[in-house]
Amino acid sequence: MTASRRRAFLQGAWQIMPLSLACAPWGLLVGALAIETGLSVLEGQAFSLLVFAGAAQLVALGMLKAGAGLAAILLTTLLLTSQHLLYGLHLRRVLAPQPLPWRLGFGFLLTDEFFALNHAEQPASFDRWRALGMGLSFYLLWNLFTLAGLLLGRVLPNLGALGLDFSIAATFIALVVPLVRDLATVACVLTALLVSVWLHHLHWQGALVLGGLAGMSVGFLVRRLRERLP
Amino acid sequence: MILATVLGMAALVFCNRYLFLEPRLPLRLGRNLRTLLEFAVPGMLTAICGPILFSGETSLAATLVDPYPLAALTAVGLMLWTRRVLTTVILSMGVFYLLRWLL
Repeated sequence: MTASRRRAFLQGAWQIMPLSLACAPWGLLVGALAIETGLSVLEGQAFSLLVFAGAAQLVALGMLKAGAGLAAILLTTLLLTSQHLLYGLHLRRVLAPQPLPWRLGFGFLLTDEFFALNHAEQPASFDRWRALGMGLSFYLLWNLFTLAGLLLGRVLPNLGALGLDFSIAATFIALVVPLVRDLATVACVLTALLVSVWLHHLHWQGALVLGGLAGMSVGFLVRRLRERLP
Repeated sequence: MILATVLGMAALVFCNRYLFLEPRLPLRLGRNLRTLLEFAVPGMLTAICGPILFSGETSLAATLVDPYPLAALTAVGLMLWTRRVLTTVILSMGVFYLLRWLL
């Protein structure tokens, strides 16, 4: 690694640090719930090492605990992580021209947080070493927090009832607020909130994806309507 | 069962993430699709928050004294004011636990 690459890598790791630290309670929660669900420490760690998708992991653990079958868990995972299709589509211009090992790596590291920090990248300004620094440092901390949760979960039962999931919401609020700059984004956010909550109350598995898509569509329509108006 | 769940989930999540990064997939993004995707971050992240914040209570009155939505409003205010992610997350979690203890 040359000096400039190392600098870019460390810069990326530094840029994502607030988000990595903010997901500490979330990692603790996944670890603790894994123990509560009956996974061994090794299985719980493998879960975070291989899947690396906090929301899907939390929901899957809840379903395992409730005795759901493999097919139901996988279908829920597919729906719950389908926002990544949109992220891939959005980052395609920047990431698709990268060589195969880089593409596979970024494919694995493409989390909500990674997307939030890279969504405005242009092909000319994109630095893959900086992006790798973001993705890998986030991955490392996520797994360390999971490990802490696994170890704590063995000595402190009922860590799951502490409301640690609020940290997820707080992190995402902090990411969304700076993006809300016009009426179209306000409409998008309010629609996504209302539809996701409503469908969740109706116990629809696809509540997140459908809520998100509804918000995106309304934002799109408002933007286009306002372009037509004088 | 647990091994199958972990491996199956890992494969699905990776496919969702990688699919559109594959250059051989024939696809061109038009102007409309690009505009739609500009709303992907606010739309999806808000949709993930929604059920976390409003899953416990069923009536409006109960929601008004629920720590989740109240602390979420605090987080919005803190972010507008401080513009710092970590400060907002830490302080709003403090408010969240204070409200849980009070209410």
